[in-house]
Amino acid sequence: MTLAAQIFLNSTVVQRRIHLKKIDLHIHTIPTISDAPFEFSIKKLKEYTEKQKIDCIAITNHNKFDLSQYNEIVSNLDIIVFPGIEINLENGHLLLISDNDELDDFTSKCQEIERLIQYKEDNINVEKLKEIFPNLTKYILIPHYDKKPSLNKEAIHNLTDYIKAGEVSSIKKFIYRLKDSNSLVPVVFSDCRLTNETTNFPTKQTYIDLNAISFDGLKLCLNDKNKIALSEDDGNKLFQVTNNLYISTGLTVILGERSSGKTYTLETIKKENFNVKYIEQFSLLKKDEKSFNNKISTQKDKITEEYLAPFKKIVEDINDIDIEKNHRQIEQYISSLLKYATETETADNFSKCIMYNENKFNIKDLNNLKKIIDSTLILIENNEYSEIIELHLNKDNLKKLLIDLIKTLHKEHETILKQNWLNSLINDIKTTLHTHSSQTSVEEINLYKIILDNKKIEKFNTIVDFLKNEKEIYKEDIGKFQIVGKTQKYKGAQHLKSKSSSTWAFSNAFSKYNSPYYYLQELKKISENFAPTEYYKYFIDIEYKILNNFGFEVSGGERAEFNLLNEIKDALKHDIFLIDEPESSFDNLFLKNEVNKLLKELSQKIPIVIVTHNNTVGASIKPDYVLYTKREFINDNIEYKIYSGYPSDKKLKCNNSEIDNYLVFIDCLEAGENSYNERRKDLYEILKD
Amino acid sequence: MRYLKIENNQVLYLNSDEEWETIDKIDKNILLYLLNKIIEEDEFEMDEYKEALIGNKAHQIIYKNIYEKFNNLINDKTRFQDESRELYRDAFEKYQVES
Repeated sequence: MTLAAQIFLNSTVVQRRIHLKKIDLHIHTIPTISDAPFEFSIKKLKEYTEKQKIDCIAITNHNKFDLSQYNEIVSNLDIIVFPGIEINLENGHLLLISDNDELDDFTSKCQEIERLIQYKEDNINVEKLKEIFPNLTKYILIPHYDKKPSLNKEAIHNLTDYIKAGEVSSIKKFIYRLKDSNSLVPVVFSDCRLTNETTNFPTKQTYIDLNAISFDGLKLCLNDKNKIALSEDDGNKLFQVTNNLYISTGLTVILGERSSGKTYTLETIKKENFNVKYIEQFSLLKKDEKSFNNKISTQKDKITEEYLAPFKKIVEDINDIDIEKNHRQIEQYISSLLKYATETETADNFSKCIMYNENKFNIKDLNNLKKIIDSTLILIENNEYSEIIELHLNKDNLKKLLIDLIKTLHKEHETILKQNWLNSLINDIKTTLHTHSSQTSVEEINLYKIILDNKKIEKFNTIVDFLKNEKEIYKEDIGKFQIVGKTQKYKGAQHLKSKSSSTWAFSNAFSKYNSPYYYLQELKKISENFAPTEYYKYFIDIEYKILNNFGFEVSGGERAEFNLLNEIKDALKHDIFLIDEPESSFDNLFLKNEVNKLLKELSQKIPIVIVTHNNTVGASIKPDYVLYTKREFINDNIEYKIYSGYPSDKKLKCNNSEIDNYLVFIDCLEAGENSYNERRKDLYEILKD
Repeated sequence: MRYLKIENNQVLYLNSDEEWETIDKIDKNILLYLLNKIIEEDEFEMDEYKEALIGNKAHQIIYKNIYEKFNNLINDKTRFQDESRELYRDAFEKYQVES
């Protein structure tokens, strides 16, 4: 099958619409407390609507409507302008657009909103909205839907009779909401602030299927997903991505000779759009092994942190224990006790008092009791496993147990309060007695805390031993690769130093590496800049490796493949994905088997633009739309043109010029028809035979 | 096992070599040793403090103080055991299973 035939097989029939109107119902013209400062230019607004061929706009400032400015805009523009307001509603934003026949009434209602929302954080609720606008059916209500700050589901539900369309922030979200039968009708608007400095006009507008603009007609269209589109002639197949360019909502391929403006086109798309993922040519090969490993480790920091989170808490707890101080306290206690015992003959009236050496109460920790109460409560309230619980435990008895436990908690709590009060009293009395006597006093000591500290250290040491048993803690498959995370002991001071990315000396610390508590004490001495919250990372290291399908570490070429697969995975977090000549980093088999498949799948969810010279990518991937960049000499001047069309089109078009689509493919991907035929006859067919 | 006893107007403790010493010889290492015995042994015993049986005044003072503290600790032993069992339990189980 010829290449051309292949392209035609993948053709899509484009339904042409003739009544579409372009609307932008989200435009700011006044800087409010919710905006960064800007100086609105009415001249630029006019230029914007003319250049982008917009048929209808709405003025929607934050919690404000200025009638005189609105009138000025209306008189300057030749298109229909509706009055509107963007309201802070229950921590989301709502566009409320009115017809232009009751302007005084709308103004006074908006003044009420302005009065209620004085600060950026102020909001009104749905009830208040209904109070200010009792007849909401008169308006068009469009909430921030898949766009921040979005209106919450409950508020949308409460306004369900009035809200039919929702604003989304990207084409990707538009397509997703369009396909999802439970979603509101998606719309994209510019949300722009036009100033004298504006050079690139926004490209986010929505087309509606309407003969002539009217408020009611607009309202009807915004109720129906079949009546909205991203482009005038091509429905939702194409959308405007820059001032002069439409691309597919799926997969667009850019073809063209060297220096014809392909990369420039990608860079323009990146510059004029938000949240774009752009993989530059050769960038996947540039990453050397170290930066590649660093990148993986950075990505996996989260997994490491999650794995070590319980250990981190322990280290923080152990960090507060000073075993030497505990030993000193015992020593001071014993020596003061022995000394006091030998001074009985010099005892005076003050030192003879029992309170002279009275011990403070050891305050109980009620955490265990609280845990038992929580667990009992779970047993009582759990519905999912109630049958099995009730098989063994009587619910009435559980309730009685709960009451008794709570009573005990109250009692213990009361005791603690009393003991705290008494401790303070004991302290006061002891201090006063000590100041009046020359006899030695017995030092205070909390034996319970000392033995608990010992126990903590014992458990900490055991846990560190568990951790030091090297093991696999993470595994993830990406294409034919596998990311494996393994714990490993630190091999020496240098290993620790490289982990810290510092010049600190770790040799003293490492000499105690096998005695976790004392090792921690040494870590504390390393530097005052060494944050205690980081100590936990220095007991075991977690190393991530990328293995190929044979279980070996990846080679340079395989690294590029992995990078690409990983970047493609990451692309879903973005709104547009651009990739410049993926073939510069890979062999054709990988492109065909893995890359094409992934890109094609991805293009169902996010618009993708690929620049390529490679026939495996350019043709086999079956693009939805083709751009052809061409450098032309016209009257001694160089002109860069972008021809566009569907793969099934015989001609690609650029304004009034046309170019043969078949030749574009043959020239760009097969180095011309002759070469293609020669290769096919002389090489491929011989090889085949 | 008995670790502290009153005998012949004196108070004696049992050291790590299982020899009896008078309580005025007690030091921090012995105290730590006895502390561990309280926690480790179910049958830790010590004679009840009875002033009348202790003729040595210094022994009286030392034993009274230590006896009270040890007694409090013995009373708190169940709490200590519960608390120790709960100590870092999640981490202990997580890393033990995986090791």
